[in-house]
Amino acid sequence: MDDSRPIFVQIAELIENDVVSGALPEESQVPSTNEFAAFHRINPATAGKGVNLLVDKGILYKKRGIGMFVAHGARDRLLADRRNQFQNEYVRPLVAEAEKLGITGEQLVQMIAEGSGA
Amino acid sequence: MTTTDTSPRTAPTAEPAGSGSRIVPIARLHVVNRMQVLLVPAMILLFILLVNIVVWWLIVRSVTDPVDRADALDGLQWSGASFYVFVYAVVLGAQAVGFVFPYALGMSVTRRDFWLGSALAFVGLAALYGAFMTLFAVIEQATGGWGLGGRMFTVLYFGGEDATWYQRFGLFFAAFLFCFFVGAVVSTIYQRWRVNGMLVFFAALTLLLLGTAALITLTESWPAVGSWFAATGAGGVVAWSLVITALSAVVGFLLIRRSTPRG
Amino acid sequence: MTAVIEAEGLSKHYRTVDAVDDVSFSIEENTITGLLGRNGAGKTTLMQLLTGQEFATRGTIRVFGESPVENAGVLQRLSFIKESQKYPDDFKPKHVFATAPWFFPNWDAEFAARLIDDFRLPLNRRIKKLSRGQLSAVGVIVGLAGRAPITFFDEPYLGLDAVARQIFYDRLLEDYAEHPRTVVLSTHLIDEVANLLEHVIVIDQGRILLDDDAESLRGSATTVVGTRAAVDSFVGGREVLHRDSLGGLASVTVGRLDPAERREAAELGLELGPVSLQQLVVQKTGATTSGIEQSA
Repeated sequence: MDDSRPIFVQIAELIENDVVSGALPEESQVPSTNEFAAFHRINPATAGKGVNLLVDKGILYKKRGIGMFVAHGARDRLLADRRNQFQNEYVRPLVAEAEKLGITGEQLVQMIAEGSGA
Repeated sequence: MTTTDTSPRTAPTAEPAGSGSRIVPIARLHVVNRMQVLLVPAMILLFILLVNIVVWWLIVRSVTDPVDRADALDGLQWSGASFYVFVYAVVLGAQAVGFVFPYALGMSVTRRDFWLGSALAFVGLAALYGAFMTLFAVIEQATGGWGLGGRMFTVLYFGGEDATWYQRFGLFFAAFLFCFFVGAVVSTIYQRWRVNGMLVFFAALTLLLLGTAALITLTESWPAVGSWFAATGAGGVVAWSLVITALSAVVGFLLIRRSTPRG
Repeated sequence: MTAVIEAEGLSKHYRTVDAVDDVSFSIEENTITGLLGRNGAGKTTLMQLLTGQEFATRGTIRVFGESPVENAGVLQRLSFIKESQKYPDDFKPKHVFATAPWFFPNWDAEFAARLIDDFRLPLNRRIKKLSRGQLSAVGVIVGLAGRAPITFFDEPYLGLDAVARQIFYDRLLEDYAEHPRTVVLSTHLIDEVANLLEHVIVIDQGRILLDDDAESLRGSATTVVGTRAAVDSFVGGREVLHRDSLGGLASVTVGRLDPAERREAAELGLELGPVSLQQLVVQKTGATTSGIEQSA
C-alpha cells in the first residue's frame, strides 16, 4: 500500500489486475472482505469499500449468502477501460509532446515500432 | 439493543443494568486470591499460637511456685498475641481500595458498585475471621488454655474467660468489620487527595487524640474514662465501634464516588 | 452510521495544565478510531473522561446516548485497557483471566487461551514480576477477549516486541471482522497502525487538530522537493503545513494536489512525494518548533 492514494482504491486495483491477468477468472469467487483485510492488514471497512467500488462498476457481483464473484464479461470491460485510460494518460501526452518537437505522425509510428522491437 | 437501522441518527440506548449487578462479582474479586485472604492469615495466626504454647509451656515448667505461676498466667489475660490478625484486616481493608479499586474500575464497574461489593466482602470476611477466632476461643476455653492455662483468644477485651460463643463471635465480628472499614476509609482518603490528604488526615487525627488526652489530663478525668469503659463493658465498646465503622463506610462511599485511580 | 461516543465542549483542567481543552467530536459505531498525538497531548485524560474514570471540568459526554459517569448500564459495555493499569497485590495473570469474565459478558475464554499462547504469557507468575511486555499482553488479552461493544486501548503495547505487536494487530483485525465493535486506539506508533484505522483524531495540547476519515487523510498532503526558487514559485499562496530547507534546496509539505498541479510541479522539475499519516501528525503537532531536525 502506498501513501499517496486511498487504500480502498488500491485494493480495487489489485482485484482488477487479477481479473485482467486471469488470476481471477470470470464467475470465480473472490476472497471475502475479511480475508482481504487480514491479508493486507487493513481495516475491513476499507477493504469492503474497495470491493463495493467494483460491485458498483459491475466487475463483481454478490451472491447472497455465498460471497462475491467476478461478473461475466468483466475482463473485457476492464481491458476496454484500461485501453481508454492508456490512450488518455499515455498516448495523448505522447502525441502532444511529439507535436512540440516537430515529430510527424509517421515518424512517431516508426519510433514506436522500433521501440517495441519489431 | 432497541435502536437499529431504523433511526440512524440516534445513538443506541444503554442497556439497563438489570441482571448485570456487579456487586457480588466485586465482592468475589476481594477473595479471588485465597492465599492472601485465607491461608496466609490463618497460618500466621497458627504459628503465633504455636509460639505462645511453647512460651506457656516454658512458664509452666520454669515457674514452680504455684502463686507466681498463677500470677504469670493471670497476666496473659492482657495478651496481645492475636492482634496481628486485626492489623492484617486493616491492611486488607486498605489494599481493597489501594489495589482492587483501580483494578475494579479497569473492569468497568461503577464506584458505587465497587464500594457496595467491597462492603459485602468485608462483612463476609469479618464473619469468616470471626467464626475462626470464635472456634479457637471455644477450644481454648474448653481445654483450659490448651492444657497450659494460656490465653490468646479469650483475653479480657474479647469477653474474657466466661463469655458465650455468640458473645465472642459478636465481638470478633465487630472488631474485624471495624478494622476493614477503617483501613479502607484511610486508603480512600489517599485515593481522593493523595499524599496531602494523608498528611492532613494523620495530623488531624494526632491533634484530636493528643487534644483529647490533654483535655482528660487537664480535667483530671482519667479515672472517669476508666470507669466509663468498665461501665460500658465489651458490648458497649462494640456498639461504639460500630458507630465508627458505619461512619467510615459512609465517608468512604462519599469520597470514593469522587476518586480517580492514578497510575 | 450511528455515533456511539459524543463529546461536546469537553474540558478537563488540572491545577497546572488544561489536559483536555474544549473538544467536540463523535465516534461512529463499529469503527476503529486512532487517537493520535504526542505524549502528554491529553489522549489518556480524554479516554479517562470517556470511560467515566475522570470527571470533566466542563462539557458533556454521551456514550450510548448517556453520561458514562457512574452509569453501570454504559460502563458494562465498555472496556478500557490502559498502559498504567494497576492489579491487586500478588495477583497473577490467571487471576485476571479468572475474574475478567465476571465483568465482560461477551468474554471468549477460548480466544483468551489462544492469545495467552500467542503472547507466551506465563499464567502463574506474579504480575509484579512480569516484564513490561508481558504486563502489556495481559491488558491486550483482556481487551480483545472481553469483546466489549466499545474497547479503548491506551498505548496498549508498551514493551511488546515487533512480533507481539503484529500479533496484536492481526488478532484485533481478525476478531473485529468477525465481531464488529467500536475500538479506540491511542498510540504513537502511527505507521504501524495507519492501515488499521478507519477514522483518525489527532490531539495536541488538549485540543483536536485533526478529525477525519483515514482514507481522506491519505494523499491529503504532498511533499514538494526541489530548488528553493522552484519550490517557492510552485507553492505560491498555498497553505504550507511544513517546511525544511537545506542550502538551496527546500522541502515543503502542502495539501492535496490535483493531476494538473502535479503536472505543473513536474514541469518545474520538482519531486513530489506522499506524506504518511505519521509524518502528517508529526508535522501538525510539531508545528510550533522549527523542525530542522526532521528529515523529509
